[in-house]
Amino acid sequence: MLKQLANRLVSAVPVLFGVLLLGFLLMQLIPGDVARVIAGPTATQDVVDAIRRDLGLDRSLPVQFAAYLGRVLQGDLGVSMINNVPVASELAGALWPTAELVIACLVWAVPAGIGLGALAAMNRGGWIDRAIIALSVIGLSTPVFFFALVLMIYLGYYWQLFPFLGRAGPIWTLEGLNGIVLPALTLGLSFIGPVARMTRTASLEVMSADHVRTARAKGLRERTVMLKHVLRNALIPVVTLVGLQAGFLLGGAVVTETIFSWPGVGRMAVGAILARDMPLAQGAILALAIAFIAINLLVDLAYAVLDPRVNRA
Amino acid sequence: MTARTNTTSWIAGALTAAVFAAAPWPAAAQAPASLTIVREVDSDRYDPPRSTARAGSEVLFMLGDTLVSLDFDMKTVKPGLAESWTISPDGKTYTFKLRQDVSFCDGKKMTAQDVVYTIKRWADPATRSPVAWRAGPIDDVVAIDDYTVEYKLKAPYSELLYQLTFSFGIIVDKANVEALGADFGVKGFNGTGPYCWVEWRPRNDLRLKRNANYKWGPPIYENRGPAHIEEIVWRIVPEETTRLAAVMTGQSPVTQYVPYSGLAQIRANRNLRIEETKEAFWTYFIGFKIDKAGLEDPLVRRALVMAVDQESISKDINFGETEPAFSYVSQLAQDWDRAYDSKLIKTNVAEANRLLDQAGWVMGADGFRTRNGQRLSPLAYGFAGSTWQKLMESVQGDLRKVGVDMRIQLFDATVAWGKLATQEFDMFGMSFPYITAGDALNLYFRSGNAPTPNRMNWKDAKTDELLNRGMTATDLAVRAAAFSEVIAQVHDAAVWIPLYHEPMKIAASTRLAPFKAHNIYGSGLYKGLDLKFVR
Repeated sequence: MLKQLANRLVSAVPVLFGVLLLGFLLMQLIPGDVARVIAGPTATQDVVDAIRRDLGLDRSLPVQFAAYLGRVLQGDLGVSMINNVPVASELAGALWPTAELVIACLVWAVPAGIGLGALAAMNRGGWIDRAIIALSVIGLSTPVFFFALVLMIYLGYYWQLFPFLGRAGPIWTLEGLNGIVLPALTLGLSFIGPVARMTRTASLEVMSADHVRTARAKGLRERTVMLKHVLRNALIPVVTLVGLQAGFLLGGAVVTETIFSWPGVGRMAVGAILARDMPLAQGAILALAIAFIAINLLVDLAYAVLDPRVNRA
Repeated sequence: MTARTNTTSWIAGALTAAVFAAAPWPAAAQAPASLTIVREVDSDRYDPPRSTARAGSEVLFMLGDTLVSLDFDMKTVKPGLAESWTISPDGKTYTFKLRQDVSFCDGKKMTAQDVVYTIKRWADPATRSPVAWRAGPIDDVVAIDDYTVEYKLKAPYSELLYQLTFSFGIIVDKANVEALGADFGVKGFNGTGPYCWVEWRPRNDLRLKRNANYKWGPPIYENRGPAHIEEIVWRIVPEETTRLAAVMTGQSPVTQYVPYSGLAQIRANRNLRIEETKEAFWTYFIGFKIDKAGLEDPLVRRALVMAVDQESISKDINFGETEPAFSYVSQLAQDWDRAYDSKLIKTNVAEANRLLDQAGWVMGADGFRTRNGQRLSPLAYGFAGSTWQKLMESVQGDLRKVGVDMRIQLFDATVAWGKLATQEFDMFGMSFPYITAGDALNLYFRSGNAPTPNRMNWKDAKTDELLNRGMTATDLAVRAAAFSEVIAQVHDAAVWIPLYHEPMKIAASTRLAPFKAHNIYGSGLYKGLDLKFVR
């Protein structure tokens, strides 16, 4: 287990280097000029050039990347080109709100997805099964922003059940809890579909296994068979899927954070990219990459716990 | 535990959670000491001479004060931190007498030294202020005593008092600027304004608290301080639908950033109202590069201006919420010559066709005009985003009717400013704020300002001479006459297609007492001294 962990950590190093390099190059490829952004519409070319020099943008790309890499290796992510705020402190403030959002989404969407998937499997071929499959497809194919607007308009505006204007506080406070409902619901609605479908497929496979037939033959109630013998085995691929999808949730969080003004790292990344604020954008990309790698690592570990054969292998 | 107990517990838990979540939000339950104002974008920083975006100005006006202020009519200069001022007969020396009761948020007294430091910093090339020219041709700024400042100019600058009303000249605390260094206006700002800096989370929110000692607000306000509202939170909400919903639900009781499409809904809502000012001093236009093939002919440009239906743009694109523009600046602006009103070019498609015929552009069977085998096909640059896309397409449609094949290229704002500094295009879309006609003309039509912001390449010695005459005039009549000539010159030459003047329309909850909308640099709430909850 420890060896596996160490291997994964070592293999993450070139991945992170690649992320840094690609992030840097992509930011160079995007047309736009942060010096122009800072200087404003009426600035003369002299002012723009002076700002560009101040930011070090007049140096060659390899020199800029080498300087950036050197700073990152020393734990210095630099400062925002736009407002001079250290990138690390901006990230520190933005990571937790995103984590809160992803956790809040998983807390309700994973049990809901597993429950619906199990229900569909138990009613295979029936109208419940078909309805759940249809809902899963709708959840999968509907853009996040559509869910966001519908929820905001109905739950936020017409019925005024929940606020939707950003994060009012940490999730453990009443204000924070109220504020996270709509973003978490939005993000979760697109997450339920894949979980439900995977649970259904895996459950159906397990339901035809010998040990399940034996359990039924012993006279166990269907619910017990389902919970103890089917779902427990069916959950292994579901956990893998949840882990992978949790990484993709970070992508969905960008849209959700923008619509609900949620001060997370996704929204920060979008703002930084739009403003061509390279250090901040690269910092955000790096943070998201690390989060993605960490989630995958956790999934691998969870997989080993759930299925001891993985450990033995 | 049985399955039934499990199910019952689950339902009870869910119901509790639902009731818990559906409870009134704390924001609605608590006394409205805090006011959340939603807006579209954040500023890059809050450093007066370096923050040129409207998003910077609207906050800075609350954080600090200027030497002089501007009345709601957008014409009358009123006292600010200076209680009075005199101008020398040669127009080169302004002597400001400062109020003696002004202090910064940290309690330190504001003196003439702060004013001297502020103005010199604004003009200093090391500050890299993109608007340093607005401070005028400074010779020196001197503190005569603790409360008297002499602002000496190398040449008269009739625009000075107007320019000093902008947020760029907000008085800063030298010690605070030097202590914070690059973090000034990022991590803190010690101003003299009705509100004090608490915390800024870039792209999220900026929190201000009331300056309890404030009592030196501009005389345009009934309440000169302190402000009524205990705390103001400027919150960034990029999505316009979310901003509209925030106003409709009372989560943001006031904002000027609602889409035109939502204003009718707001008017129809008895809990909301619109505060507006008719002084629409933010103008949208499409300019011509007047030295480009085809467009070098004033007849062609005039025809193109005539082909555009400004009434339709305001009605159909902006839901009737903007004022169709035929002049380059609002006709209500200082220095606008009302005698020119009758000469403005109005929509007239038949006449546009006649002028194009006269200019030798022949309508072909394909519906496009050509001359010497060349199609009249100007390339227009503009900003990506719904506003300019719709405007450009609308103008494209209008020009199509007279046989002009307008091509459009739109760029993200970060790219557009660079592209608009080139000579690649024939037409360009732009909008800008101003106080006076002179302010606008001087910015856009001075030869030395080409290629940007004078993107038209309007280079005319007579215009420069008139602008100089207007800017250096010590007599308002001379100034008005000079600018009037420039107005006639550039309008006659048809160098812009004016599209509309954008009025200030602020959506407000009826929980707030009625207040007057301002429009200085598009900052509708200005000092915010009249914002007050009534329930």
